[in-house]
Amino acid sequence: MLQTTAQYYSMKNRIINGGMVISQRGTSFSITANTVYTLDRFYLRYNGGSASCTVTQSSSAPSGFANSLLMTVGTAQSPVSGNRFSIEQNIEGYNWYDLGYGTANAKTCTLSFWVQSSIAGTYSIALTNFSYSYVATYSIPTANTWTYVTLTIPGPTTGTWTGASNSSAVVVAWDIGEGSDVRTSTTGSWLSGVYLGATGSTNVVATSGATFYITGVQLEVGTQATSFDYRPYGTELALCQRYYQKSFPQGTAPSSGAGDYRVWYGVTGQNIPFPVVMRAAPTMVALPAVDSTAGNWASFNGTWVDFNPNLSGTDWAWNYYGAATATISGRWTASAEL
Amino acid sequence: MYQLRAPIEGSTIISIVVRLNDFGAIPFAPDNTDYQQFKKDIQNGVVLNDAEGNPITGSALTTFIGTLP
Repeated sequence: MLQTTAQYYSMKNRIINGGMVISQRGTSFSITANTVYTLDRFYLRYNGGSASCTVTQSSSAPSGFANSLLMTVGTAQSPVSGNRFSIEQNIEGYNWYDLGYGTANAKTCTLSFWVQSSIAGTYSIALTNFSYSYVATYSIPTANTWTYVTLTIPGPTTGTWTGASNSSAVVVAWDIGEGSDVRTSTTGSWLSGVYLGATGSTNVVATSGATFYITGVQLEVGTQATSFDYRPYGTELALCQRYYQKSFPQGTAPSSGAGDYRVWYGVTGQNIPFPVVMRAAPTMVALPAVDSTAGNWASFNGTWVDFNPNLSGTDWAWNYYGAATATISGRWTASAEL
Repeated sequence: MYQLRAPIEGSTIISIVVRLNDFGAIPFAPDNTDYQQFKKDIQNGVVLNDAEGNPITGSALTTFIGTLP
């Protein structure tokens, strides 16, 4: 008999890489400011004072999971108005439009995740399109202990929301120390405006050395959290590659320098399809290899010579242009994040 | 800081700007978020060089911005 209840179908999780298994950019990130992508699809918004932190792909995880995202505070900052400290994932319209946000038929969804912090207390999350926001609180009752959280969020029946497109539909944000200007005491209902946390939420970023782990993140249609949507590794990786790809092997962080390079016999230009079609024409970075400098690749025709590969990406292929026929050494990354 | 990339040989169309801090090649694609940031940055005074490395300023910059998709 065909089962239609949520726990029996796959691809129900609108979060990509919720198990924190994919980390194409590397496994450790030092963050001092701005918005920085870390484990695939998850980024930190980290703006305020001289605050710093480290994010790692941790092997500490609750039963059933292999990895978590670990944020460890470096230089502490007591958040003030205007500061932004959160872990976020931005969901594309094509992966969200069926919830019917902004219509009378807007669907309820449920967010579930495992979380652990060195500081027990009340925390908050937000769902927002930066015009409308929903803030909810949750508790971490015991420090340094995994806690499972589920939060049910009704669909908003008003507002203008992104439909079926490749633009941003909604952002899920975990507040780790938001400024007072984006925190609200009104939780559990949709609000007009930008709110990213609840008044009184624990400011993890205010304590040097404090830790915050998260994994098993799932956002699904319905009023109840169901079992985690374990997708095949190749499927999860492909979902991530819609937003970020690299020429490096999985498990190797993109970097510059000799000893880690790709060589092929090139011609003056090539057009190579991406293994996964990207969300938009991506930003491409050429990473130097043997005997080449920043932004360049090297070609070999008796000696290694720098050249600018003039990389460009379209929505289906990447290209390079600028080297005479020769052995070519260089790597690339392509980003089409939201 | 950004620099326009010269058109590839055989073309006259400039369609890539290079972000000089990491040499990221940003296409003139409205749904690329780096391109969206590039447009904000140059309107806020971040330096944009032409393909030869000369800053584009004043009315030339205004005209250029007007041509962007």
